[in-house]
Amino acid sequence: MKKGLLSAVALLATVVGAATMTSCAPKNVINIRAWNDEFKRFFEKYVSDEKIDSMTTNEAGDTVENPNAPKTYHVDGVPVKWSIVPSQDAQYQDKLDIALEKQEKASEGEKVDMFLAEADYILKYADSATTQNIREIGVTDMSKTYNYTVQAASDRNGVVKGVSFQCCPSALIYNKVIAEDVFGTSDPAVIQEKLSDWDKFNEAAAAVKAKGYFMTASVEDSYRVFSNNATTPWVDANGNVSIPEAINGWKAQSKLFIEKEYTVNDGVWGDEKNKNIVKDKETGYKGKAFCCFGPAWYYNFCMGGATKGDWRICKGPQAHFWGGTWLMAATGSNNTDAVAKIMNAFINDETVCENLIKNDGQFTNNQTVNARVAAEYTASNKGNEFLGGQNDTAIFLDLAKNIKFENATNYDQICNEKFQQFYREYLGGSVTESKAIENFYKDVKTKYSHLIVPVAEEAK
Amino acid sequence: MKAISLERKEKKKKVTYDRWGLYFIIPFFVVYFLFTLIPQLLTIFYSFFEYYRKTVGVYIGPNFIGFQNYVNLFKPIDSSGTIDILKYFGNTTIMWIVGALPQFLIALILAVMFTSTRLNVKGQGFFKTVFYLPNVIMASAFSLLIFQVFGRVGPINQIIVMNGGNTVDFLRQKTSVRALIAMTNFVMWFGNTTIVLMAGIQGIDESLFESARIDGASSFKVFKDITMPLLKPIFIYCFITSMIGGLQMFDVPQILTAGQGTPDFTSKTIVMFINEVLRAKDYGKSGAISMILFIITGILSLIVYKITNKD
Repeated sequence: MKKGLLSAVALLATVVGAATMTSCAPKNVINIRAWNDEFKRFFEKYVSDEKIDSMTTNEAGDTVENPNAPKTYHVDGVPVKWSIVPSQDAQYQDKLDIALEKQEKASEGEKVDMFLAEADYILKYADSATTQNIREIGVTDMSKTYNYTVQAASDRNGVVKGVSFQCCPSALIYNKVIAEDVFGTSDPAVIQEKLSDWDKFNEAAAAVKAKGYFMTASVEDSYRVFSNNATTPWVDANGNVSIPEAINGWKAQSKLFIEKEYTVNDGVWGDEKNKNIVKDKETGYKGKAFCCFGPAWYYNFCMGGATKGDWRICKGPQAHFWGGTWLMAATGSNNTDAVAKIMNAFINDETVCENLIKNDGQFTNNQTVNARVAAEYTASNKGNEFLGGQNDTAIFLDLAKNIKFENATNYDQICNEKFQQFYREYLGGSVTESKAIENFYKDVKTKYSHLIVPVAEEAK
Repeated sequence: MKAISLERKEKKKKVTYDRWGLYFIIPFFVVYFLFTLIPQLLTIFYSFFEYYRKTVGVYIGPNFIGFQNYVNLFKPIDSSGTIDILKYFGNTTIMWIVGALPQFLIALILAVMFTSTRLNVKGQGFFKTVFYLPNVIMASAFSLLIFQVFGRVGPINQIIVMNGGNTVDFLRQKTSVRALIAMTNFVMWFGNTTIVLMAGIQGIDESLFESARIDGASSFKVFKDITMPLLKPIFIYCFITSMIGGLQMFDVPQILTAGQGTPDFTSKTIVMFINEVLRAKDYGKSGAISMILFIITGILSLIVYKITNKD
């Protein structure tokens, strides 16, 4: 009996001891939240200090760092901890919101220090108390960045809350092999001439289809070209939801493209879309897609299965931008110096920016470096490997001048995602067009009950 | 001093163990009170309030609005006049019935076959394991598998295309989506029902079957007049649990339709609706939907209970 009691006490002591050991060590970490590992890779490659914590003895008997041990990444000696949640269906925002709302009560090691935000919902965070003025934490020089990136990360009073590590003018990315088959050439200047406006684009689609290819990889591929040129917001200042005029262009085009089978009724991140840009081992590009639209991050990060060197870019029918990743400084962070250091590295450190372009095909948020590399590429006739050595930096340099970040609202991600989803139900034939639009409004209303949608008001 | 301690020892000997039963059930009641009862009461409480998140860190309410959340749920918000909550309730019921009918039919047949001393089926352990296996896999994993298999570029469509057919949008058509959801639920749950029903049949006195057979009753007559009446309590138990589970259907349709209940919200269930509203941090509205589901489940269970206990 006594023995049993003793062992029970011992067990209890161990448990309590273990619990206090883990709880008494709230080590300071830099918490960063993101929706994929794109930024993480660049951060680990160029900005953070790499450290190997485990030591080993080599053949000569010296104590050295263990090359097989996992590496940890630090900024000013503080380790970095990532939390990555996919962005689809606003999951990333949901989880981030919960963390930010708990920020005050969170323990030192759990406070969010920096989080990434996308163009579609940056305003929600920039224009809230969850982010802080980056000029006050030490990011003062934004002279080399693109103006729209600063404007996007500012609240309604013009206080800047974050910086973008990239600039995202978007272009038309086309398949060289299919271009040669259909148009007899893959020269970007000639192809641009053939696709310089939407009428020509639709005409070209017929020619591409005649040869047995799809024009775009999915019906959603051209959506951003229209939506990011919208002249009215999804939601006005009074909370009224309305579909911007610019979207009508996509509606008409998508109807035509589905009817004529110029493309497939799939999402821009869908499996079928992916299949359409990947070269088949046996049949090559037979029955595949001619083009898609996207900025530098798109073809360098999201076209993983596509064959390097088989693609080219040109400006396409309409100038636009797509996405962009901003680094936001969270209110309540206890590592503001490190956050400022990271932000400064991505916009002002010329070595980092140059590496991002040359090694990773990025188009950075440092105008000086972009211009210098573009000129260097032109002089040496070099460029992006994915595009068979085409100088994409020069093209983007030109396109970046026109980017205007206007009409953004807190609700853009859901509005854009859901509009496409419900409209595709119509394109697939399961509902009428007016029903699809009603369903879109209904869904927005369910997710944001304080917004006013047209159909609901009429029904009342 | 000594006298007192002796007296205590006397007392200790008389200790009864009556209360131990109560002590043992305390943990359950504490956990139930903290993690089930209080949240349930809060759900009811908040269903009478306007209480939602407007944007990150900004909440509206709680403001008392009486039954307004309930009233709003029964207001149509589109031109066709569809009342969403009724539509989602209808979807849930249809998908449950389509899955539950074959589930009970097959389970009953299998249970009768396996317990029949006349048939004396060999390898029962093996079959029981196989039938039960789908239930061991997580519903989400199982639905993800179905999602991949029936996707536009999945193996089923590959076979169709290879044989000269056109790609079929299984996951975007009302009938096929509902059928797939019902089928997945059926495959997952029929093994479980079979095993419960088998236990029920095995609980029936074997001599009844024997005497019926001696009297020359056919297998069907034995089933109709002996098995079914005596199995009734277990069968009702299975039916009610399946109904409650069916009304709370969530995981399979959520994953098969990527949380959208496509197409045209025809495979969106009540719990998917609650989940969506709760994700939007609308505590008042989600509380009201939960209460409606609770009331409906209660009424239906009561009806089933009353009907089956008539005779």
